[in-house]
Amino acid sequence: MTATADRQMELTLPMVPDIEIAAARALGNLAREMGMTSEHVDEMMHAVIEACINAREHSGCADNRIYLRFVGSSNADGNRIDIWVTDHGKGFDPQEARSRRQVPGTPHKRGRGLQLMELHMDEVDISTTRNGGTTIHMVKYEKKS
Amino acid sequence: MTEELKVAVERKPQGAVLYTKGYINNVGGEEIANRAYELMDDGVRILLLNLRETKIVNSIGISILIEIIEKMMDKGGKIAFCCLTPVIHKTFQIMGLANYAAIYDNEEAAVRELGLT
Repeated sequence: MTATADRQMELTLPMVPDIEIAAARALGNLAREMGMTSEHVDEMMHAVIEACINAREHSGCADNRIYLRFVGSSNADGNRIDIWVTDHGKGFDPQEARSRRQVPGTPHKRGRGLQLMELHMDEVDISTTRNGGTTIHMVKYEKKS
Repeated sequence: MTEELKVAVERKPQGAVLYTKGYINNVGGEEIANRAYELMDDGVRILLLNLRETKIVNSIGISILIEIIEKMMDKGGKIAFCCLTPVIHKTFQIMGLANYAAIYDNEEAAVRELGLT
């Protein structure tokens, strides 16, 4: 069955405090329009928030912008939402970021954003190059019941 | 844009319940921490965080909540949570908070189990 792109949204947001909420609300509206469950909507909102926070706090980009693209598609099996979060910053090493994951009781408690994205989404793919920016592509599936 | 977190406190005979409303980020987390530390300084050793009106907690907010839990544990007390959304509940379990703080479905059960009354 061929999927159809039912809804698309592109946003360019300034890197200011709490701007991740604007991104999450836009994504939430798109997902709700597609009829996705509130739990899946909440999961995607949490994931996009973490991606935006990482871009804002760690990208070191000169243009101070986050570029987001959401694509929702449906077929007979269910819904799918693709999310791209891009910055034009310095890039990072995903393996090194994963290795910094900590547990409660240890002194370093930051660096959980990527872990949360992977927890809440079905697929997370990171494209990043040194001084070439970063794009996080995340996918959420919802089968029809 | 800002998303201000509102915090309210209800003292109980054996502790306190702290109610949050809104987004728990760095600023919201610090607001919770300030209120929690005030209560700890005032002798409270059982603190229940009711997150009924909080729908999103980010990773920085989680880090601050962990710091609050650790500080209360250092004082020999305990922190618990109730009324979490399914996604926040799952997040707390995966991030390890559930290993250090009890999570209850509703406030009545939490107050009863914690002996707050």
